Amino acid sequence: MTEAAATATERGARERILAAAVERIASDGIDDMRIARVAMDAGVSTSLVHYHFETREALLGEALEYSYERAGEVRLGEGEEADSDPERRLLAMIDQCLPYPGALRQDWVLWLELWLRSVRHPELGPTGARLYERMRAWLSEGLVACGVPEGSDPGEMADRVLALCDGLGVRVLIGEMAIEYAREQVWGYLAGELGLDASLAAG
Amino acid sequence: MSPRPRLDHVRRPAILAAAAEVIRERGLENVRVSDVAERAGTSAPSVLYYFASKAELLKEALTSAEERYYEDLERDLSETESARERLVKIVGGGAGEGDYDAALWMELWARALRDPELAATRAELDDRWRRTIAEIVRYGQERDEFGPAQPDVFALLLGSLLDGLAVQIALGDAEVTPERAQDLSLALAERELNCELRAVA
Repeated sequence: MTEAAATATERGARERILAAAVERIASDGIDDMRIARVAMDAGVSTSLVHYHFETREALLGEALEYSYERAGEVRLGEGEEADSDPERRLLAMIDQCLPYPGALRQDWVLWLELWLRSVRHPELGPTGARLYERMRAWLSEGLVACGVPEGSDPGEMADRVLALCDGLGVRVLIGEMAIEYAREQVWGYLAGELGLDASLAAG
Repeated sequence: MSPRPRLDHVRRPAILAAAAEVIRERGLENVRVSDVAERAGTSAPSVLYYFASKAELLKEALTSAEERYYEDLERDLSETESARERLVKIVGGGAGEGDYDAALWMELWARALRDPELAATRAELDDRWRRTIAEIVRYGQERDEFGPAQPDVFALLLGSLLDGLAVQIALGDAEVTPERAQDLSLALAERELNCELRAVA
């Protein structure tokens, strides 16, 4: 194998390990994530996991960061192509901020762990802050496209939307609330602020 | 009968305070019962006598902190007749640095996902918080200080917003400071309740 090919394989293994860790954390919880299990899922040896990630803590930290980065790259593009109508596009963006079953829900479970760990590990803070910054800019742009009234600040509105999605989303995740209801609440708030069609989010 | 129950009023709160400290520092995952015992100046069996598990320590630590919060809040709210000032006080406590124990709350959220008992605890504490907000709204509507919003719907919206902002504050997001969180929340309440709040803040 050439050196370049070896590096590429190594990068592939590293990413596979991270992806496997992300899935394990989402399904089993952070406390029950075992290195041996992650290695098996990723199709590598335990020693290779230890080679890439010196400690369990390091793997956890990087898995969370990986999920955040991936969400920032993949998700933030999605709402944009969905529709040329700015209101529908904004609604699609909000949907990307709520824990719908599948990848979104999986990311959410992980982020909950990230929030929790960031409180005690300030070094994780910048990763979280970076994603919020990107989401804020992304949402502000969607808001502006719908027409923000004079005197209202799209940045402030974006902060509120993100916080509402997080606060409602966590309730959905725990099973206290239907996701459709959370969606209607966020949209209801925005419909009031921007004078949009409130019924767009219903049903 | 064991003589220990006579010391309940001393030991239990001391253990809970120690548990809150240790959980805050290390995370529940890395906490051993013996750590809590050591911090409280007692033994592990003694901790286990009062609390069957680490999850129960978390649950009881949060519940007792909430009891103290509501005692203080009740006193605080009774100092003013104005519903608007009451709402501002409640938002200040929720969004500000105040007594909000982000580390413990996030443990509860994360664990509520997998532990039905902790999920029930979260729902109970959340219900109480929302009822408190809704009561102030009803009170304000009676006094014509607030417009005709649905109190329970508003309480959920404000409560969720405050939770989401608390996350951003806890993450150390430079954009969302406690003051800004308060401002963002009051602006939402002003719009929903059709009243002026930031002037009384």
